[in-house]
Amino acid sequence: MATIFMGRAATLAALIGLAACAPQPKEPQPGALETAGKPSRWAADPFPSTYQPYASGVTAIRGATVLTGAGTKIDNGTVILSGGKIAAVGGADVAIPDGATVIEASGKFVTPGVIDIHSHLGDYPSPAMESTSDGNEATAPNTAQVWAEHSVWPQDPGFTRALAGGITSLQVLPGSANLFGGRSAILKNVPSRTVQGMKFPGAPYGLKMACGENPKRVYGEKGGPATRMGNFAGYRAAWIEAADYKKKWEKYWDDKEAFDKKKGAKPAAGAEDAKEPEAPTRDLKLETLAMALNGDIVVNMHCYRGDEMALVIDMAKEFGYKVTTFHHGVEAYKVADLLAENGICAAVWADWWGFKLEAYDTIRENAALIHAQPNGCAIIHSDDQYGIQRLNQEAGKAMADGNRIGLNITPEQAIQWITLNPAKAMGVGDRTGSLETGKMADVVLWSADPFSVYAQAEKVFIDGALMYDRSDPKRSPRTDFEIGQSGLGFTGGAGQ
Amino acid sequence: MRTIILTLTAAFAAAAASAQTTAASAPETLVIQNARAYTMAGEGAGLIENADIVMRGGVIVAVGQDLAVPEGARALDAKGRIVTPGLFAPWSQLGLVEIGLDQESNDASPEGDYPHSASLDAADAFNPASTLIPVNRAGGVTRAVAAPTPGDKAFGGLGAVVNLSGRPDSIARERALQSVAMGYAGAARSGDTRMGAWAEFRDALEEARAYAANPGGYALRPRMTGLTLNDLEALAPAARGAQPIVVAVNGAADLRALIRMKARYGLNVIALGATEGHLVARELAAAQIPVILNPLLNLPEQFEMLGATQANAARLHAAGVTIAFYDPPSGSHNLRLLPQLAGNAVANGLPYAAALAALTINPARMYGVADRYGSIEVGKAGDLVLWDGDPLETASRPVAVYIDGRATSLATRQTRLRDRYRDLSRGDLPHAYRGAQ
Repeated sequence: MATIFMGRAATLAALIGLAACAPQPKEPQPGALETAGKPSRWAADPFPSTYQPYASGVTAIRGATVLTGAGTKIDNGTVILSGGKIAAVGGADVAIPDGATVIEASGKFVTPGVIDIHSHLGDYPSPAMESTSDGNEATAPNTAQVWAEHSVWPQDPGFTRALAGGITSLQVLPGSANLFGGRSAILKNVPSRTVQGMKFPGAPYGLKMACGENPKRVYGEKGGPATRMGNFAGYRAAWIEAADYKKKWEKYWDDKEAFDKKKGAKPAAGAEDAKEPEAPTRDLKLETLAMALNGDIVVNMHCYRGDEMALVIDMAKEFGYKVTTFHHGVEAYKVADLLAENGICAAVWADWWGFKLEAYDTIRENAALIHAQPNGCAIIHSDDQYGIQRLNQEAGKAMADGNRIGLNITPEQAIQWITLNPAKAMGVGDRTGSLETGKMADVVLWSADPFSVYAQAEKVFIDGALMYDRSDPKRSPRTDFEIGQSGLGFTGGAGQ
Repeated sequence: MRTIILTLTAAFAAAAASAQTTAASAPETLVIQNARAYTMAGEGAGLIENADIVMRGGVIVAVGQDLAVPEGARALDAKGRIVTPGLFAPWSQLGLVEIGLDQESNDASPEGDYPHSASLDAADAFNPASTLIPVNRAGGVTRAVAAPTPGDKAFGGLGAVVNLSGRPDSIARERALQSVAMGYAGAARSGDTRMGAWAEFRDALEEARAYAANPGGYALRPRMTGLTLNDLEALAPAARGAQPIVVAVNGAADLRALIRMKARYGLNVIALGATEGHLVARELAAAQIPVILNPLLNLPEQFEMLGATQANAARLHAAGVTIAFYDPPSGSHNLRLLPQLAGNAVANGLPYAAALAALTINPARMYGVADRYGSIEVGKAGDLVLWDGDPLETASRPVAVYIDGRATSLATRQTRLRDRYRDLSRGDLPHAYRGAQ
């Protein structure tokens, strides 16, 4: 059945198989990490973001229905974008600044930019061929040392199509063949010559881990793990090693600090010169895991089954780290209370199912039931280069099914499943994901209710700059791969 | 005798009960009243406001306004809701696959260098008890093509037209079609060139015709195509144009080659994929080749798909090509999402009526069963869906689904799981006891 009869082999590979989840900073600096507001002692980002917002004036969108992403809805609302930030959000009485470009949007909808927490764009790009298949380092069950950004091809046409679907930020994850798949890259969906030019400034890294079928299928005949218990033994052995590594570095930093302090002080008479402590050898794999233990890296766990999620939650407690989001949580509804109590989000599809046994128990009300828990955190994700283009429709289906069983989910709540919730879960919720004063002006103007199948993203602003306009070909990016392929009357570009 | 008017809710319960208990009994006389009926007969999707539809003996016996309710009929007030013909999925592996990655429950395609191809027959393996059937039925799908897909060899085998009643007799037409992989998918099975794929296709057609002309004298003749005698026999109807052959092909160049093949051999061809179909739309229309496409495809996933655009459906339709939809990745498990594909096609320029046709009457035409299925007309099977909104909208779902004149259950394994886990409290007994009956 390994057939390409129906095309899109790469998607299926990504889905069922294999895709489908720093040293010495003193001062905070671009790319430096912070933990709980304090600079981390762990590594700064050696591949720092070079993203800079594009030019934007002052834009006023008025007359639209605004779903703010902050949980509110404003009829006949006004949104002001200025200096790349949200300057004001309110009703018809919000003052329009002099010189603002005014967009009359009566009958239309405005939402925050859509965010996909689970994408493989750039790592499994189009065209999908052996030469571009860079999403799964399926060579060992623990490849925590690999970073998705080193595979991201910025010329993937998929980024442009996602832009036309309203996507302004996304997390690109390594695939799910491995227990530890590696680091994710959090990107702003702005075309760039380099991946650094797309990296979301100051976003934390994510770590991709995977439960269940995929690792045991991939490694069952390649030295293991061959079982789910083997998976857990593999995670735990790695965390034990990482905890040791973390301790070694922390001791070194303490010793070094004491040594530097002593060196600065006047030596006591007759005291021997203390020996300068030697830094341990860096290990990229353990460094990523140690940073996850330290809270510097956000843990994203691909996990379909509810019972496995419960085991992972206990494992995280055993080693003192936090799972932020379960991805592909097809059975999250079975343990939705447990997830909410532990402050864990579940990122799910609206209705995909049955491609493997651990995806057999999907229900259409999954997202709604996750949401309905006190403090429940539901996210709709794509894991797919087509799904990412219409997360709004996926959220619309899931909302409708929840409401059909009486959960009374409002559009202003459901929009959070594809905006603020993923932003928070990716560690960027203080900067984007909702239309609130001071946040990045990542904004979508929709032709109609975004949960409708007929709605189109008409204009997409990223940091205030108009990066996509359905009515203006000059505001529709086209990648290097596609340019000049127009001999047959085909144009390519974002709005295809 | 007095007519019994039921509320929609009561009708549900009745529907569920009847689906479970009346497996052997003949369908009763049913009247749907006051519907906004897209009959698909005539212009503008054949819309009739305030329509009444009478079904008896499994077929539609009357369609119109203010019809008299026959004696003893069960009547259902649609309250102005939309009724469409049951959706017809033009391509699936329904009943052949339960779990994609599980070998035991997946019969969609042979593994390895298994010798048979064209003679694999969906009717031999079709499982009407598959959970995919109620799940898709609850989404409004009443008819489907269930067909194997090619393994290592180019031909997929014989597909059937089935209904989604889940009943043992749900195969409506066996040996309804053949399939073959061409384009890149075919090349990968034929020496890695598209030329090789077309050459093998020609050889196979000629050999199948030669076999059919003289089966007795053919057994000992050396063969080059890798087809068994059974395969040649199975391929013969398609080879002489008497049976539709679904040809998976994407690029404009391959579509032109397909047009030449059709002309040369007089084939009854349906193009599956046709991602660059809009570039040869007029030629396809002139050659009367219908197209089953995924209207969402807009990425240059292969060089043969550089022209992928969401305008494909609208442009093919505008040129006069008969279109229908499929979505390989969601595939057989989510045929219930066909209306969402159609809605997206409308958002990208396809007229609404054409989108409804692509979900109903067009597939029936493609497979030569439009005399029985695909529209709400007298004499056709009683396959109807009553919707709670615009069928193409993300928020709409069927409230009643009729197959061969019978109300069907909309309960699925998924709704049972939902009901079991709706309340996560510990309860008197574990969840495994809830809804177990």
